[in-house]
Amino acid sequence: MSAPATELHVFGIRHHGPGSARSLLAALKGLKPDCILIEGPPDGAEALPLAAHEKMEPPVALLVYAPDEPRRAVFYPYAVFSPEWQAIRWGLVNSVPVRFMDLPVAHRFGLDKEAEARAKAEAEAEAGAKAAQVEGGGMAEGCGEEAVEPEPEPKPKPKQPHPRQDPLRWLAEAAGYNDGERWWEHLVESRRDSRDLFAAILEAMTALRKELPPLEDPDEAREEVLREAHMRAVIRGAAREGAARIAVVCGAWHAPVLAGCLAGRREADAGLPAPSARDDAAALKGLPRTKVAATWIPWTYGRLAAESGYGAGVISPGWYHHLWTHPTRLSERWLTRVAKLLRKEDLDASAAQTIEAVRLTEALAAIRGRPLPGLEELNEACRTVFCFGSSLPLGIIRERLIIGEELGRIPETAPTVPLQQDLAREQKRLRLPPKALAESKELDLREANDLDRSRLLHRLDLLSLPWGSTERARGKGTFKEIWRLEWKPEFAIALIDASRWGNTVSEAASARVCDLAGRAPDLPALTGLIDGVLLADLPEAAAHVMRKLQDQAAVTSDVAHLMDALPPLAGVLRYGNVRRTDTELIGQVVSGLVARICIGLVPACGSLNDEAAAGMHERIGRVHEAMVLLQSRDYAASWQATLARLAGVPNVHGLIAGRCVRLLLDARALAAGEAGSRLSLALSTANEPAQAAAWIEGFLKDSGAILIHDDGLWALLDEWVGGLKPDAFVQVLPLLRRTFGTFAAAERRMMGERARQGGRPPALAGAAAAAGELDAARAEAVLPLVRSLLGLEAGDGR
Amino acid sequence: MPENTEILRAASEVQYAEELSALAKADTKPRPPQWKLSPWAVSTFVLGGKLDSGFEVSPKYIGNRRLIEIAVATLATDRALLLLGLPGTAKTWVAEHLAAAICGDSSLLVQGTAGTAEEAVRYGWNYALLLAKGPSQAALVPSPVMRAMREGKIARIEELTRIPSEVQDALITILSEKTLQVPELNEQIQARKGFNVIATANDRDRGVNELSSALKRRVNTVVLPLPDTAEEEVDIVQRRVAQLGRALELPGEAPALEEVRRVVTVFRELREGKTSDGKTKLKSPSSTLSTAEAISVVNSGLALAAHFGDGRLRARDMASGLTGAVVKDPVQDRIVWQEYLETVVKERDGWKDLYRSCREVL
Repeated sequence: MSAPATELHVFGIRHHGPGSARSLLAALKGLKPDCILIEGPPDGAEALPLAAHEKMEPPVALLVYAPDEPRRAVFYPYAVFSPEWQAIRWGLVNSVPVRFMDLPVAHRFGLDKEAEARAKAEAEAEAGAKAAQVEGGGMAEGCGEEAVEPEPEPKPKPKQPHPRQDPLRWLAEAAGYNDGERWWEHLVESRRDSRDLFAAILEAMTALRKELPPLEDPDEAREEVLREAHMRAVIRGAAREGAARIAVVCGAWHAPVLAGCLAGRREADAGLPAPSARDDAAALKGLPRTKVAATWIPWTYGRLAAESGYGAGVISPGWYHHLWTHPTRLSERWLTRVAKLLRKEDLDASAAQTIEAVRLTEALAAIRGRPLPGLEELNEACRTVFCFGSSLPLGIIRERLIIGEELGRIPETAPTVPLQQDLAREQKRLRLPPKALAESKELDLREANDLDRSRLLHRLDLLSLPWGSTERARGKGTFKEIWRLEWKPEFAIALIDASRWGNTVSEAASARVCDLAGRAPDLPALTGLIDGVLLADLPEAAAHVMRKLQDQAAVTSDVAHLMDALPPLAGVLRYGNVRRTDTELIGQVVSGLVARICIGLVPACGSLNDEAAAGMHERIGRVHEAMVLLQSRDYAASWQATLARLAGVPNVHGLIAGRCVRLLLDARALAAGEAGSRLSLALSTANEPAQAAAWIEGFLKDSGAILIHDDGLWALLDEWVGGLKPDAFVQVLPLLRRTFGTFAAAERRMMGERARQGGRPPALAGAAAAAGELDAARAEAVLPLVRSLLGLEAGDGR
Repeated sequence: MPENTEILRAASEVQYAEELSALAKADTKPRPPQWKLSPWAVSTFVLGGKLDSGFEVSPKYIGNRRLIEIAVATLATDRALLLLGLPGTAKTWVAEHLAAAICGDSSLLVQGTAGTAEEAVRYGWNYALLLAKGPSQAALVPSPVMRAMREGKIARIEELTRIPSEVQDALITILSEKTLQVPELNEQIQARKGFNVIATANDRDRGVNELSSALKRRVNTVVLPLPDTAEEEVDIVQRRVAQLGRALELPGEAPALEEVRRVVTVFRELREGKTSDGKTKLKSPSSTLSTAEAISVVNSGLALAAHFGDGRLRARDMASGLTGAVVKDPVQDRIVWQEYLETVVKERDGWKDLYRSCREVL
C-alpha cells in the first residue's frame, strides 16, 4: 500500500533531553528527510508555523483546549533543548513539511468525557462512594504534555512512575548513572555516529518493551494502543503521499512499534511487530470527538520542572539548558556561573575556589567510577567548596541555575488564549462590557450578579489587570462597592502574559496568588495578599495563603507584624460570611497569632523610643479591638493577662503602660481603685516628667468624649486630682494640660461644665432622665427608617 | 585493645590494624602519592563493607555514604578538609579514622583551645639549646603540623574555631603554599606529597573565634549531620542512657521508651523548626539541642526519679531538664519555648502532663 521506495527513520528521543536534541539535529542534517513526523497533537497544525516566528522564544507551550470548556486543556511545553522543538524548527527553516502524528486531542477529550460519564454513572450506582472526577487531560505520561491541574499545588504521585515515562533514564540507571542526560552524553561521545545511536536505542527499547508487563489501568492501556495506532496511520499516510525519506521523532518508548509499520520492511527493521494498517484503521474508527482549539502560550522553566507536578517534566531545566548551550567544558562553565551567582548574592566565591570545585568534582566522579561528573557531583562540590557546607546557598543555585528563570515569549499574532475567551464570556454573563471610557459603577454585594462582578474585578486585580479600581474603604462589613472601570488596550497583552497561570480567570488568579505567597518575604506581604484573596473569593488560594501565613507567623520574631496580621483576620472570622469564606482555617491561624502575640508582646515593648511607642500603642489598640471582636473567653483572658504584665513592666514606655491600664479598666479586668493607684503611681513627681506625660496621654488618648460620659473614668480622675496636694498639682498640671490640649475645644468646654456642676454628665443627662417616660407611638415612627438603614426589608418582620 | 588493658582506647590504626592490612591487600585501585590505601579503600574502611576475600570491614561511621566520599575526594585533591557539625556528630571520630586509613598515623594532632599558641601549629624551640648554641635545626621543636609536612602525612586539628584567630592565620600559608618558613634558620620546610590537614569545628556554638574567611576559602567543608530519623536518634539515646545508667549505678527502672521518644521528639522538632508531622512551623532556639543533650536530659530525669520520685521516669522529672536544655538565652529562647508549649505540646494528645510540668517550671 505504500511506495516501496519510502525510507522510514524512527528517532526515539528523550523528551526535553538536550543530548537527544543534539543527536537528532545531527541526524536530520545527515538524513535530509522530506517529511518530518513528530509526536505531538495534530490539532495544533495551524499554530505550528508560528514556531519559526522570530518573536517566538522558548520555553513556550502548545496549548490545546476545548473552547467551550477551557479547564479541559493539555499543554505541550517545549524548551530550546527539546528535541521536538529542534525538529520543528529545523523542518520549518529548511522548508521540510512538519506534521504532528499523535492521537488528536479532540479524540482524547472525547474519550475522557466518556470515561468521566462512565465514572459518574458508577459513582452514582455506588451510593456514597466519592466520584473520582477526572479533570482535564489527566494523562501526562511520556509524551511531553501536561494536563491542567485545577489545584495550584502539585499532586503527590503515589505510585512509582511507569518506566515508559522516561525509559532512557532506566537504562542510564542500569548503567550506573543517576541522570539520563549524562549517560546520553557519554553514549554519544563514545559512539560519535548518531544514526547508529538511534538504532541502538530502538534495539534497547524493543528489549525493554518485551520485558515489561502491560499497563494495569485499562483506560491508559487503551489510550496507548490508540495513540500508537494513530501514529502508524499518519506514517502510512505520509508514505502514501509519496514522501521518500520520513523522519519520525517520538519518545523512545514508542519507537519499537513504529519502526516496522511500513509494509514490506517489517523483516528488515528492528522493533516489535506492528499491527496491520487495517487493524489500526479499525481501532481508530468511530472515536468520539470534541471541538478543540490550539494556540501558543509562554512557559517558564519553573513549570517545566518536574516538581511543579508535571509528569514528563525534567528535574533541572536550567542545567539542561546549560548542557544544550555549552557542549564543552561543562563543569568549568557551570561552576563559573555558580560563582558569579553567589557573588551577586554577596557570598564569597573566588576564582581559586572555582578551580578547587572543578578539581573536587573530578575527584568525586573518579571515586564513584564515573567517566564524567554529573549534576550531583557539581552540587556536592558547590556545597563543600563555596557554601561552607551549608545547604542554604544551594537553594539559590537550585532556583536560579538548576531550574532557571527563563520565561518564554509569544508573538502577538498568536491566536487568542482561553483566558481571554473566559474573560470575554464572564464579561458577557455579568453584563460588564469593557469600555475604554472611564465610568463609575456601584455594586450591591447582596445581589448575586453584583457579587460576581466584584469577584471578577478583584481577581483581575490579582492578575495585575487593574481594569477597575475601588475607592471605598475596605472591610467585610460593607455591602456596597464603588468601582471606577477603565479598559486599557495593553490589558490584552497582560492577559496573554497571565495565561500561563491558568485558563480561566479564577484559576489563573488562584495560581498567581499561590505563587506570590510562595515568594512573600515576610508577614506583612502575606497579610497584604489576604485581603485581595478573600475579596476575590478564591478558596483554594485563600487556604494556601493561610497556611503560608501560619508558617510565616511561626518563624517571625517581629511581634508588630503579627499584630498587624491579626485584625483583618479577626474581622473575617467575625463577619466573614458576606462572601462565605471558610473560617475554620482562619480560626487556626488566629489562635496561633493570639498565642504568639501574647507571649511576645511584653519583650517587644521594652525600650521603645517615642515613635516606636506610638506605633505600638496603635497596634495594641487595634489588636484589642480584634480581641473584642473575636469574643473568645480564652483569648480575652490571655490578652488581659498580657496587658496586665505589660502595664507592670518598669522600662516600658509610658504611652503603652497607660494604654494597657486603660484597656484593662474598660474591660473591667482592673478595679477602679487599682487603676486609680496606678494612675497616681505613674504621675508621682518622682517619675520622669516625659514618662508621666506619656502615661497620661496613653491613658486618655482619643477619649475626650468618653471622659465626659463615663462616670467611672470621670470619678477616677476626679478623685485623683482632688487628692493631690496643691504643690503636686502645680507640678502635674503641665502634663495634664498636654493631654487635655489634644481634646477638641467643644469637649474641653463640656468637661469644664461637668466639673463646674460637680461631676454630673452635662447635655445627655436630660435624655437619660427622660428614659422612663417613653412614648411608644413616637418610637414606632422611627423604626421604618432604622430598618432601611440596616438593610432589612420592611416586611420581613425582623 | 586486648593487648594492653591499661589503655582506655587504642588509636584507630592499632585497634583496626587487621582491617587495614586486609584492605591494603585487597586494594588494587590507584593510590594518590604516599597514601597507604586508595580513596575507595579509605571510604570502605570508614563506612564498612565486605571485601572480595570475604573479609568483613566493620562500619566506623553510620550515615550518609556520599559525605564520606566527598571528604575522601577532598583529601585526594590536596585541599584541607574541615568537618563541621554539632557536638556528638562523630567529627573527631571520622577524622581519626580517615587519618589512620590514609597515612597509618592518627597521632599528629593539635588539640585546639583558646590557649593554643602559634608553636602548636608552626614550631617551637628547645630554649636551653637555643640559648646555648643559637638557632639550629637541633634546637627546633616541630609541631604536629610540621612533622606531617616533613613526613607527608595527615595532620589533624581539633576544635579549629576555639583557636585564636591569629594562630588560625598561621595555617593559611601552610594550606595554600604547602610551605612553612623558618626565618630564624633562613629555611623553608616544604611539604612532601601526601601532606594534608583535617580540621574539625562546631557549627552551632561557633567556638570562641569565627573562622576567618581567608581560611574558609582554603578548606573544603563537609557538614556531618545529626541522625536522619527520629527512630535512629531514639535508639542512640536509649542505648547511651542505658550504658551511662549502668556506669553511674543509678537505681530505678530503665527509662520508658515513650518518655525517651518524647524528649527526642521535642528536640528534633525545635531543631528542625517544624512539627514531626510537618504541618506547623516553629521557631528554633539558640541552644544546640544535640543528641548528647537529649541523653543528659533523660539521664538527669532518671536521677530525679530515682532519688526523689517513685523510680519511674515521668514528665515532671524531665520538665526542668528539658527547659534548661532549650532555654539558653533567657529572653529569646524563653519565647520560643513558651510558643512551643502553647502551640504544640498543649494540643498534642497524651502530652498534657508534660505541658503542665513545663509550665510549672517556667
